[in-house]
Amino acid sequence: MKKTLMGNDAIAWGLVHANVDMVSGYPGTPSSEILGMVQSIKHQLDLPIYAEWATNEKVGFEVAYAGAIAGKRTAATMKQVGLNVASDALMSASYIGNLGGMLLIAADDPGFHSSQTEQDSRVFAKFARIPVLDPATPQDAYDMTKYGVELSERFQVPVMLRPVMRVDHAREIIEMDPETHFVPNEGKFQRDVARWAGVPRAGRLRQGHEVLERIETIKAYNWEHHLAPRFASLKGGELLILAGGTGYAFTKETLADLGVEADVVKIEMPYPLPREEIVPYFEKYEKVLVVEEPYPLIEEDLAHPKVYGKKTGTMHQIDEMKKEHILTALQKLGIYEGPNIYEAPKIDLGFDVPDRPPALCPGCPHRDIYYAIMKVFKPKKSIYPSDIGCYTLALSQGAIDSILCMGASVAMASGFSIADPSKTVVATIGDGTFFHSGIPPLLNAIYQDHRFILIILDNSTIAMTGRQTTPERFHQSIDIAQIVEGMGIKCYEHTYSHEMQENIDFMKHIKSEFEKPDHRGPLVVRVRQFCILDNERKDDWIPNLFAEVDPEKCVACDACTAVYKCPPMAYNAEGKIEIDPFLCAGCGGCLDVVCPTDAFQLDKLKSSGGLFEE
Amino acid sequence: MKNNNVHYQIVIAGFGGQGVVFLVKVLALCAGNRDLPFLGTENHGMSQRGGAVSCDIKVGEFANPVIDNGQADLIIGLDANETLRNLHLLKKDAYVVSNSDKPFPELPFHVTLVDGNAKALAGEFPIQGLNVYMLGVALASVKDFPFTIEEVENALRQINAKVADQNIGILHQAIDDIRGNEE
Repeated sequence: MKKTLMGNDAIAWGLVHANVDMVSGYPGTPSSEILGMVQSIKHQLDLPIYAEWATNEKVGFEVAYAGAIAGKRTAATMKQVGLNVASDALMSASYIGNLGGMLLIAADDPGFHSSQTEQDSRVFAKFARIPVLDPATPQDAYDMTKYGVELSERFQVPVMLRPVMRVDHAREIIEMDPETHFVPNEGKFQRDVARWAGVPRAGRLRQGHEVLERIETIKAYNWEHHLAPRFASLKGGELLILAGGTGYAFTKETLADLGVEADVVKIEMPYPLPREEIVPYFEKYEKVLVVEEPYPLIEEDLAHPKVYGKKTGTMHQIDEMKKEHILTALQKLGIYEGPNIYEAPKIDLGFDVPDRPPALCPGCPHRDIYYAIMKVFKPKKSIYPSDIGCYTLALSQGAIDSILCMGASVAMASGFSIADPSKTVVATIGDGTFFHSGIPPLLNAIYQDHRFILIILDNSTIAMTGRQTTPERFHQSIDIAQIVEGMGIKCYEHTYSHEMQENIDFMKHIKSEFEKPDHRGPLVVRVRQFCILDNERKDDWIPNLFAEVDPEKCVACDACTAVYKCPPMAYNAEGKIEIDPFLCAGCGGCLDVVCPTDAFQLDKLKSSGGLFEE
Repeated sequence: MKNNNVHYQIVIAGFGGQGVVFLVKVLALCAGNRDLPFLGTENHGMSQRGGAVSCDIKVGEFANPVIDNGQADLIIGLDANETLRNLHLLKKDAYVVSNSDKPFPELPFHVTLVDGNAKALAGEFPIQGLNVYMLGVALASVKDFPFTIEEVENALRQINAKVADQNIGILHQAIDDIRGNEE
């Protein structure tokens, strides 16, 4: 059956068609749609599949892994930095192995589109000594998902599927199984203490030897089933290109565009590679170019004087794949001498196109809360550690000083408070990130008496990745305030108000509480908010108070565009601020305080219903 | 008109909330219905609403979904600045179809500009229909556009039957507006 699918949807269908019984993971771009799509297929076809978000990637991996130990077919989904969080579990899982197939899906993000690092999960697979599959297209992703589950079951070890963003978020018409006949696998845990609970030194050393043997077996399998037929058909010549994943797709197009002939071998399983089998084929060629992303994994494993790639400066070393990089490499190797057909045409517009810097959505309550924080805790006297989520975009308001990784705001607030006690440390974290990894550092701060303010921005959703549910949303008895109180301290509570002064007054109250001589340790605040894209809840919060500008009052002082930063606000041809009526969400946040000359006023025609009455 | 020897690259540019991805899905359906290979991808940063979004669409025999500099046959821009920001992807004599309230400087492309925001403000169509309106402008003004009006209509019906009549109405409004201007 042919169907137009996004790569992540293709992976979800692959999981269902591979009879995967359990899928557990944590959202993260570009992986998030996989689990969401499994959930929707499950509901649509009424399938007995467990498909649920976990509190973080490590938890997600462990849930799926235990399922595979007990004989179910399982999968864990996450983005590449999420694998850092799950890596502790992965490293041991490789030693112990599994009975049912387990696919670990780690989505990479070459080009830093929405990630803090450009790390290569294939290298993590090598580190953990598990096989990894590298799809080039959504069709590959579907096929390799099914294949990876089988492979995992055959070799009793987790198998990694490593799609990159250009596979996850690509759309293609793919060929998939015409019908879904889901056959659940029986979960039946079999006690085997020596295996499932192997301990150092003897138990793990034995398993370590098994890992080495297993990876040799898989290497031979990779040669026999994937590579040997391809290498056998090679003609030889000037250039051999070994291309992995998207590298293959980009190489094919570049060669066609340039009219360059070269033998190309697609590397579907970049680890483990049978080096001993591959290298002798280099004899037939003058040069071998490796095209892969983002790290030189294949290139390092096949290191040879004829091999060119990132380490020889032939291919780009950072940022995502482009055909131009391959063209440049072919030029450097003396294979292509024509023009750079991928050079941007020179177009002189005579002016600069204004930037559209990343910004919080119109109507997002984060903007107002950060505005209030900045009003009360002045930048010169404060340090603002923050975290990973939509609110990271408050960077543009100058309301964030540091970002490291999920949950780091809390422990970094500890560190800053120790290192520079002259400043007030005001940390911000979202509810999703707090559940993910904000709780242990808060416990640490409480028992070590670290003096800072932690503001938990609780919109009850994992907004940035597409509004996945948080534990609190699902089971309302899981309450952040009770978690904080359970650690032995008070949790100050505030509810976002569209009247800015109320948010500012609350922050003033927090400042005075924090500055009381008898205050010790961290002061924790939970601000109840909403997400403007959350259709289930936003109508309860949005007052439908649309703003317009009184041009007589606007003095073009930049106070709104430089500090409040709401996307609908921009200067018009007359040099006055104007509000884009298509973008304004009607939150009313700017009607008070934000403009020093009070130029924002209610657009009475547009504002109707809600809290506003004539 | 229908041929299966298509090799066509389209950029759709706008900002989050304008329905850029919806147009990708419509064109994917058009391709699928004619059994043409299709590859597409999305480019966006961390913003949700209001951030720059562009999509690359490749119809025909391609291997990867990304459009490189100087390769695209057409850009459909739902926002003037986002159109201008992506001109580097166009090949010489490519087509530019954009929403804009002011003229563009002289460009080495075939340019069709429509002030869609003004039309929406004047109540000619709801602003949510801007994406479909601009697709209609492209259908009416781009020579060698790879799909026919009927193919786009069918895709609009498949993608959302409930609002198909409204969408098809907006599509024809755009086509009539352009053809009316030409007469």
